[in-house]
Amino acid sequence: GGTDAQLKDVIIKPDAPSSLLLDKHADYIAAYGSKKDDYEYTLSEYLRMSGIYWGLTVMDLMDQLQRMNRQEIIDFIKACQHECGGISASIGHDPHLLYTLSAVQILCLYDSVDAIDVDKVVDYVKGLQQEDGSFAGDKWGNRSDYLYSFYFFCSSAFILSGKMDTINVGKAVEFVLFSVQQQTPFKCTPGIKCEYFNSAIYCCTGFLSLTGQLHQLNADLLGWWLCERQLPSGGLNGRPEKLPDVCYSWWVLASLKIIGRIHWIDKDKLRRFILACQDEETGGFADRPGDMVDPFHTLFGVAGLSLLGDEQIKAVNPVLCMPEDVLQRVGLRPDLLS
Amino acid sequence: MAESKEEVDVLVQRVVKDISSAFKRHPNIDEIGLIQCPEARYNRSPIVLVENKLGVESWCIKFLLPYVHNKLLLYRQRKHWLDREALVDITCTLLLLNPDFTTAWNVRKELLQCGALNPERDLYLSKLALTKFPKSPETWIHRRWVLQHILDQFSSVAQTTEQPVESEHPDAERTLLLSNHLNRLIHQEMKVCSDAACRYPSNYNAWSHRIWVLQHMAKGNIKVFHDELSSVHPWVSMHVSDHSGFHYRQFLLKELITELSRSSSSASTIFGSSQHWTSTVPSSSHLANGERSLAYSPSGERFATVLQLFYQETELCSDLIETFPGHETLWSHSCTGEDCSLCPWTQMEYGEPLHGHRVEPS
Repeated sequence: GGTDAQLKDVIIKPDAPSSLLLDKHADYIAAYGSKKDDYEYTLSEYLRMSGIYWGLTVMDLMDQLQRMNRQEIIDFIKACQHECGGISASIGHDPHLLYTLSAVQILCLYDSVDAIDVDKVVDYVKGLQQEDGSFAGDKWGNRSDYLYSFYFFCSSAFILSGKMDTINVGKAVEFVLFSVQQQTPFKCTPGIKCEYFNSAIYCCTGFLSLTGQLHQLNADLLGWWLCERQLPSGGLNGRPEKLPDVCYSWWVLASLKIIGRIHWIDKDKLRRFILACQDEETGGFADRPGDMVDPFHTLFGVAGLSLLGDEQIKAVNPVLCMPEDVLQRVGLRPDLLS
Repeated sequence: MAESKEEVDVLVQRVVKDISSAFKRHPNIDEIGLIQCPEARYNRSPIVLVENKLGVESWCIKFLLPYVHNKLLLYRQRKHWLDREALVDITCTLLLLNPDFTTAWNVRKELLQCGALNPERDLYLSKLALTKFPKSPETWIHRRWVLQHILDQFSSVAQTTEQPVESEHPDAERTLLLSNHLNRLIHQEMKVCSDAACRYPSNYNAWSHRIWVLQHMAKGNIKVFHDELSSVHPWVSMHVSDHSGFHYRQFLLKELITELSRSSSSASTIFGSSQHWTSTVPSSSHLANGERSLAYSPSGERFATVLQLFYQETELCSDLIETFPGHETLWSHSCTGEDCSLCPWTQMEYGEPLHGHRVEPS
């Protein structure tokens, strides 16, 4: 029979953090990037716009957004919008769908979407849709494996600027469902027993929610597969025989919330795992206990705890990973299954 | 030990040139890496070459990266001109340090498009970057763009019916040349993917790229798919936790079965004239047993081939499960075959024992 000795998992030490250290996390994010010529900061500049989105969203969830420099960030975004309407990760970099979305999300947090030329953003994104309904990431037509992500991101961008009807949604839906079928060997039920890492499942589920197509999923089967990702430590992994990672406490949990099966997960154990990923000295969350922290995992740690019902954190929307009150202000309520 | 800006600029420009010279003088460099070396040694270049491995001493990185990074961005914003050679050198250095810097790859795409850069160079550069950064998504994305660029060039050459006056190659010979080039490219990609899969466990990006290559460069080529099934067999046997490797096998099987189920297909060979029900994965000697086109075989034979493929996969799974108990990946892989009907000729559910062999939980 199978032995647990082979199971890849982490062990949570008895002295691991067990309470939420919100103040430390707010300090960590507020100070992040203050040494702008830091070597690591230069290395990650290619994704700066997403980094800012992660930082601001987690600050807002902790009700600390006012500590960030709003005008500087809005000016930065303006400087990143190119002639074609697309927005780049940082000044001088090439525009891309991913960073266009991050920029729109940031401006939504600040209720300043009109700081950029929104019509041109719509033109840019619309221009990236391919004949088969999928989206390229940029003008080079790159159709990476994150197909579903692109689509999801694209739809999100439209939702946030209220212009969903200008893309070919029908074709986009067709493409996602077809791709999901093709990905699975021997035409199994979507999302099951296939080489999905769960951020792809999340993007797919989110997309189907935004396009009102959640009924196309087999929620029980998908829910079962997702819950299989929970390991004895309480953490969630992305695929069989991978270590748990705190960002999966977002991807998997949010997917379960969207399909109405969040109660299938062992919430107490997951919460214990997420809390153990905090760094008591520096603040912030790491991918797993004892590793180095970063803003990406900090956002998903906090957002995951919010989904689990922590009342010290604002409610987070599972589809768009933004505070619910922001989406309410914009008038957005993506579908969820019950 | 603070250096002035001028000293840093001079140093870094020398390092960029050293890297460029290293590649020119040693075209066989096959790996890059960082050498832990906190301080500069007097008057010695931080670029070190040992047996085809190019190393960069760590002390210079904090000067080198920001310099080439900012230079490129100044160029991109039209604030500073760089000629083609400088662009190639700067992007090369930058991408060996930070291959997820998409904009730098895009600059090279533009050079490729206008013919100022040979696509083979970017296949080489991205291969090197992957030796140190085997997951790098942007590197795999760029590699696919370059391959597509090469494929597009192939089609435009293949479609040219007018021969240039100075050409001595008749059509058939040219088709053969293209076909050989394509095969070489495919094999090169399989090797790059395989190396990257060894460097990082369950390397989703590497395996997805491998699938992409077969889908775009070997469509319908039964022989390639079948060879791949053979060639990854030892690999998955040694990496039983690698979910991506098994998913790749599922993809190959699915493609083979789809091709074999076509009523008319190209004349590809797969097995020799004798089919052994109890044979293990066919060895490469099957070609020597007398090739026969499966396309013109009666559907019964092709059906038998499909069953044999399935049977062999089940055997592989049960052997591995027995040898390495408790691996979720193997169960996942074996269940996929069992639960689903895979044969278009029949609606039979493969939950039934097949020739008395069934994978049972132990």
